[in-house]
Amino acid sequence: MMENQKPLILIIDDEEALRDGCRQALQKSGYTVLTAGEGAEGIKIARERKPEIAFIDLKMPGMSGMEIIEILSKDVPDIVLIMITGYATILSAVEAIQKGAYDYLPKPFNPDQLRTVARRGLDHRNLKIETRRLREEKERMEKSFITFVSHEMRSPLVVIRQYIESLKAIAGDRFGKDVTEIIERCSMRIQGLEELIEHWLDLSRIENGTLAQKKETLKLSHITARVAEEMAPVCMAKGISLVTEVPEGVRDIIGDEESLVRVFTNIIGNAAKYTPEGGTITVSARNDEVYVTVSISDTGAGIPHDKLPFIFEPFFRVRGKNERHKGSGLGLTFCKKIVESHGGEISAFSKEGEGSTFIMKFPVQSSSAEASQIR
Amino acid sequence: MTAKKKILLIDDDKDFLFATKLILEKGGYEVFMAEDGRRGVEMWKSVSPDLAIIDMMMETWGEGFEVLKKIRATDTGKDTPLFMLSAVDLKGPYDSFEAPADFPRVNQVLHKPVKGEDLLRLIANALGEKK
Repeated sequence: MMENQKPLILIIDDEEALRDGCRQALQKSGYTVLTAGEGAEGIKIARERKPEIAFIDLKMPGMSGMEIIEILSKDVPDIVLIMITGYATILSAVEAIQKGAYDYLPKPFNPDQLRTVARRGLDHRNLKIETRRLREEKERMEKSFITFVSHEMRSPLVVIRQYIESLKAIAGDRFGKDVTEIIERCSMRIQGLEELIEHWLDLSRIENGTLAQKKETLKLSHITARVAEEMAPVCMAKGISLVTEVPEGVRDIIGDEESLVRVFTNIIGNAAKYTPEGGTITVSARNDEVYVTVSISDTGAGIPHDKLPFIFEPFFRVRGKNERHKGSGLGLTFCKKIVESHGGEISAFSKEGEGSTFIMKFPVQSSSAEASQIR
Repeated sequence: MTAKKKILLIDDDKDFLFATKLILEKGGYEVFMAEDGRRGVEMWKSVSPDLAIIDMMMETWGEGFEVLKKIRATDTGKDTPLFMLSAVDLKGPYDSFEAPADFPRVNQVLHKPVKGEDLLRLIANALGEKK
């Protein structure tokens, strides 16, 4: 297979003396040289042998150098095309480069100049190939990293929790209240770590486009009804009323239902954590010509003024009196990314001691021809 | 005293096998373990268990699925309860997994980690035992 490890260079020029001169100079430097006296022959050789570099005379009888460059840059992957010209003008150089040439060599030139240009062309080619290889490798790693993390990092945690379950099953009746509590706490902390990994994976899935992909027409009242159903038990357990005020007639939006349900439940879940018994969480929606606005407000503790700008940052937590509210610190970052992937925006307003309001704006679905013209 | 019922565990995680074995033994079952799909199917044939628990996410997603298919295709496998283990919620909205049309019948999907009491209760139900 490996007929030749030396770089292959093709010279296409109608002057025999020039072809021979180039051949000698380049062979001396360890290149294998092929030559062609005119375009059609040169293209045939290039397609078959796939040289690393081709030097092409711009002005030849028959097919012009410019045409050859155009064809070879399409037909031979990664070939470096260098134009040889006796009347190097800026215009012809620009045209050749636009057509896919990498460099040009003005006549007359000496062997050193030829070798320098060849060397540079080869370096350029290697760099280009290496860059592409690295980019592909990076993309592949990013993709498999997510799978790797989900399996390799979560598995040990799951197994530890399974051991805790076994411990309870085989010896639970021998434990006192204190031992049982320690074991429960271990289990909960591990579960928290699993959730953190899960949320972090969600964020990477949004970034590489494998989450929130669907673009369906969604009826907002349907989504909020689902959310209310899901969150009602949580709120009820805390003695908080969950009120949904989403009129049937609110304009449709486009997006991914499941991820939007998660955004809303996430925000309501947060609100429920910080809202005392007897409080209210209200989900409402309205629209104008451009946006559907969903707001979720609570009568909870509120977010301190100086912390408000950072709440959507990854791992940021509002550390308040209530230290027992532990979360991954990625919930709101997730919400922001999902809302933004829907072409929307999210913001928060809050007054300490009175409550917080999260506002999400989504573009309305443009159904009429008139609306699509505006876009 | 009646003979203990036999349960086969197929999972590529040794610790998971051991942890689950402890629970099952506590429940009064005889436990057989296999660390990969091939050995799992062999053991199924040689032991003839009353129930098998198969991890879906072994080396590849396909492995658990293949094991399930092979076991269901055996004479004893047609009507024996088979439980499927998964670390991810396959019914969850975020998993792109879609069961192929020929996905074998599964009596129970379990999510790791499995609570001891839940596991024993589900097995007892599947085996028609009164606990």
